[in-house]
Amino acid sequence: MCDDRLTGRSRPTRSPVNCRLPLAVLLSGLGLSSCTGVQSALDPAGSEAEAVATLFWAMVAGGGVIWLIVVGAVIYASRLKKKPMSESGASRVIFFGGVAFPVVVLAFLLAYAVWLMPAMRPWFGGEGEGLRRIEVTAEQYWWRVRYLDSTGAVVRETANEVHMPVGERVLFLLKAKDVIHSFWIPSIGGKMDAIPGRTNALQLEATRPGTYRGVCAEFCGTAHALMAFSVQALEPEAFEDWLAARPGEVPVASVEPVASGQPRGLNLFLRHGCGSCHAISGTPADGALGPDLTAFGSRPTVAAGTLPNTPENLARFIQYPDAIKPGVRMPGFAMLPAADVSAIALYLKGLE
Amino acid sequence: MYIRWKYLIAAVIVAPVLALLVAWSGLINIGARSGHWAVTDWFLHWSMQSSVRTASVSTEVPPFDNPEMLKLAAGHYEAGCAMCHGSPARERSSVVFGMLPVPPDLKPRIPTWTDAELFHIVDKGVRFTGMPAWAAEHRPDEVWSMVAFLRRMPNMDAAEYQRLAGLAASSEGGTAQLGCQSCHDEDRLNGRSLIPSLAGQSPDYLRKSLMAYLKGERASGVMQTAVNGLNADQVAALSAHYAEMPRNTLSAEEANPNGGNVEDGEKLARLGRPEDRIPACLSCHEKADGNPVYPTLSGQSAPYLARQLRLFREGHRGGTAFHHLMARAANDLTDKDVEDLAAYFAARANSR
Repeated sequence: MCDDRLTGRSRPTRSPVNCRLPLAVLLSGLGLSSCTGVQSALDPAGSEAEAVATLFWAMVAGGGVIWLIVVGAVIYASRLKKKPMSESGASRVIFFGGVAFPVVVLAFLLAYAVWLMPAMRPWFGGEGEGLRRIEVTAEQYWWRVRYLDSTGAVVRETANEVHMPVGERVLFLLKAKDVIHSFWIPSIGGKMDAIPGRTNALQLEATRPGTYRGVCAEFCGTAHALMAFSVQALEPEAFEDWLAARPGEVPVASVEPVASGQPRGLNLFLRHGCGSCHAISGTPADGALGPDLTAFGSRPTVAAGTLPNTPENLARFIQYPDAIKPGVRMPGFAMLPAADVSAIALYLKGLE
Repeated sequence: MYIRWKYLIAAVIVAPVLALLVAWSGLINIGARSGHWAVTDWFLHWSMQSSVRTASVSTEVPPFDNPEMLKLAAGHYEAGCAMCHGSPARERSSVVFGMLPVPPDLKPRIPTWTDAELFHIVDKGVRFTGMPAWAAEHRPDEVWSMVAFLRRMPNMDAAEYQRLAGLAASSEGGTAQLGCQSCHDEDRLNGRSLIPSLAGQSPDYLRKSLMAYLKGERASGVMQTAVNGLNADQVAALSAHYAEMPRNTLSAEEANPNGGNVEDGEKLARLGRPEDRIPACLSCHEKADGNPVYPTLSGQSAPYLARQLRLFREGHRGGTAFHHLMARAANDLTDKDVEDLAAYFAARANSR
């Protein structure tokens, strides 16, 4: 998979063969390139996004027809018709074309939109009892994602990635820690604000498995544009497997040396105090200030959709977080030996 | 008779040129022997007194409620002030009587200034005299200690002065010398000390902190003066020397002079408070395999710890290459948190 699709920016580590070429081909398709991909309301993969897309296309088609009629009437009146219209004929045109037609069209559109609303904001039909709940807390500038069971207990916590089953309504409980943010997965549904001190409920249903991109859609500070997340819409069984998985602390990919029963990267991670802010399940690291790093290696991006998840990018972010993501709360660790930073990055990349 | 405009304008141009010519000719005597003209002397003193009076109008004087303030200031007075201003233990050097202005004997002068005025003179220094500003810009706490000391000094005898400055201990034969032990001797420290205990501290932390003082990366008028002239080898030797010494433990009531809540402090130190972005202190400090640049806190006096936490919180505490981590960690501490944590760590048994 080409991770760049989930990050908004080009980075030196992206491979020109894998990414630049298809992108160039895609761009040569001009406007069409923005209509598909991981973050497009016009390429819907969720019931709400489908309703929005249907409404959009209906309006585009209707607007196109009306535009043709209006332009045709202008050409007819100015170029083809030689004699002026009678006064009573003109009155009829104004009444039917200028009053009756817009009233009927707008009334129809309004009725259609109202009819669509339950599909887009289904809380009219209830509070979403019995739905699977995912609590999303927006913080400057990342997303804390907690999967709750029916009692409200946290089953699994991740950050900057949302996993959701296909074909099932999911209730997102949206919270904010500091300022107002907005949660938006264009491919799956509309956006909703996350407001400090409130819990907003948003129901979304993914209809097509795949990887999508969500963003913060309300300006929230300097790194607002670098506050994205990836969305994995999975088949229900695959989702249940993912939710039930208990990632351990030992890296799956044995890319780094393990000494004294504990990987060197984990030793360094704990020794320098990374665990005071970050948690990795199965290790003593249990900090709750920053993103949970359990199974970090399986995430497509680093720093909330800012960079593709490679050990090099991760090392760079650990050393100079503020250069990559201005205003980020994580302090920089450029004072550590480069070898230590690389070991930590390799260890984290190996967590799956 | 008329004064024409052109004469006025000519005078305005010619007068400064004439003044420059006189200065260039070298006819002005800048020697200190003959002193100022009486009118110059009056004008300079009057300006200085007015300036200090106005600067101190809105200065809030903190309570001088900790007798240990005197010890912090006395050693520095001996190192930095006594040679010009004299002390209860020695007269001014005869050399300073040739200075212009002559540095005053402080005993009769101190009562003529208020605490706030003394603070401004010591903190900012006095232009056109030899009086320097406090060596560190953002350490009003140190300057207030000096003011508390100055207030007491007129009534101090030589023995008390030498005891406070740590001179008595090293005075057998010859002139008393100041050394690290004058202030940091374990037996001189107690639960209210503003001077830290160095015994048993991590040698890496000691060495890097001393180097930070030398390089001006940690602000302290007292310590930046004290380390002046040390070289890297001496710093390393001193660090190793103090690291090997045993640290005296404080009894429970001695360790908590400000009445902090030890239980709350322990909870905060162990768990942090993620909702307020406060990490657990113990995830970096006092860990058996932790980073040796992170200092040992157990058994350090509560007033010293509280003062350092406040300096971190205010962003004025430099130090080792890791100090920015601590500034971030202390950023959201309340005053109660600071006192609770200080009380907890002061009474804590050293586990390193």
